[in-house]
Amino acid sequence: MVVAIYATIVVQIELSVTRSADPVAVTGITKELDMTLVAAAADGLEGLDGMAEFLDRRSDDLTQMLVEHLAVVAVSVAVATVVGVALGLLVWDRPVGRSVTITTAAVILTIPSLALLAILSPLFGLGWGPSIVALVLYSLLPIVRNTVVGLREVPAPVLESARGMGMTRTGVLLRIQLPMAWPIILTGIRVATQLAIGIAAIGAYVAGPGLGQYIFRGLSSLGSRNALNYALSGTVGVVALALAADALFIVIARLTTPRGLRA
Amino acid sequence: MSTLTSPDVGRRTTGRRGAVARVLAAPLVVAVLGLVTLLWLQSIELDSIEKRTLNTDYLVDRVREHLLLSLSAAALVALLAIPAGVLIHRTNSRVLRGVVLALANIGQATPAVGVVILLAIVWRTGFTTALVALVAYSFLPVLRNTLTGLAEVDPATREAARGMGMTRTQVLRRIELPLASPVILAGLRTSLVFAVGVATIATFINAGGLGDMIVNGLKLQRYPVLIVGAALVAGIAILIDWVAGLVEEYARPRGL
Repeated sequence: MVVAIYATIVVQIELSVTRSADPVAVTGITKELDMTLVAAAADGLEGLDGMAEFLDRRSDDLTQMLVEHLAVVAVSVAVATVVGVALGLLVWDRPVGRSVTITTAAVILTIPSLALLAILSPLFGLGWGPSIVALVLYSLLPIVRNTVVGLREVPAPVLESARGMGMTRTGVLLRIQLPMAWPIILTGIRVATQLAIGIAAIGAYVAGPGLGQYIFRGLSSLGSRNALNYALSGTVGVVALALAADALFIVIARLTTPRGLRA
Repeated sequence: MSTLTSPDVGRRTTGRRGAVARVLAAPLVVAVLGLVTLLWLQSIELDSIEKRTLNTDYLVDRVREHLLLSLSAAALVALLAIPAGVLIHRTNSRVLRGVVLALANIGQATPAVGVVILLAIVWRTGFTTALVALVAYSFLPVLRNTLTGLAEVDPATREAARGMGMTRTQVLRRIELPLASPVILAGLRTSLVFAVGVATIATFINAGGLGDMIVNGLKLQRYPVLIVGAALVAGIAILIDWVAGLVEEYARPRGL
């Protein structure tokens, strides 16, 4: 129920963001809504197992996990963006390289996350290491693919006129193609972020950071009074984080899209 | 991932050689992966714990459990979500559509491990729970793709079919569903590959599968067990995605 309410609100935020002229004001609203929703969630579930008390007692813990979850995703997606866009720039105009890169990234994305995390843990130990490596690998496909698509979809006449004005190939790539491809690349980064937020939850199994810790603590305390509280707060936290991140990306997209490309 | 957010570049842009390479890439990767794992296993000495796991009987059992769980989940999703999508489409209700699409977005943001574990806590552990969790998790993406696919059918085409004297059911069966089938199949393929991945997590709630090997290998620090389990699951996921891709290509109506 709470989740459904959240959904409608986020949808409304998305709508209002696309209309609003002042994105900063909108993020303010998002934050406020976040707080009232957490309170509402606590009220609604109080009858069950003392969720309000649970949240109150563990708010520091939860906040820390929320921040860590965000941190591990942010670091991984940032690395994946640098690597992915660089790869995209390298291969977008080479049919074989392009095909090999995208197929490889697609194969990596197919590997179940628990399997990849488990394989990485003997190599990178427990903790942040395997989580970050796995998240970077999983985030590559949407970013590389969208970079390639974005660079290739710049209309030929635009490229022609840029060349005709005397720009070098690199100049055209960096000053014409990349800015024009940016909205599509950003969509790739947004998809990668959603993906990473979900997969990071499983990272907790190999002692990774984030809200997954509470989900697994719920499992290990199965049968006890707090099992549901742990698992539910962890899961809802991840959902809230993912939705908030998505809303943030809409704002970023508005702020960073070149003037001439805005709808 | 999402078949809707960005166009698939590979399919459109590479020539025949690229197409052949792409068709063969997945089985080749799996074969190399399998060969390397086998050679590596031959070269090391297994202790008694590892021997108990790394034998044909045990492996076949785990693979069977894994396939049973993921394939039946995908089949159930196909049976439930596609008709549900068709029904919602036929109500023509914008509100209902909006609610379903919003829910599908939330569903995508929900971590699978959370769904599986929550269900185990409020219900019980075991195979049935894992199956229900998998179906619940894959239901919304397939439903969404069905709705999107049906909504994307050109109204003029629909109009023309009606004008030719087809009934609404005929339009649905002979025009709308075939035209929407690529999007629907893409959704099913994604959910199938997801099911294979999420079935790994089923081990946490005592539902068997190859996740058992991964978790045991980690807990007992027996890396050969862990790596064989992970390699098997990865290989299965890649091969299933490959087969689903071929089916998708083959089932696409001629004119599309």
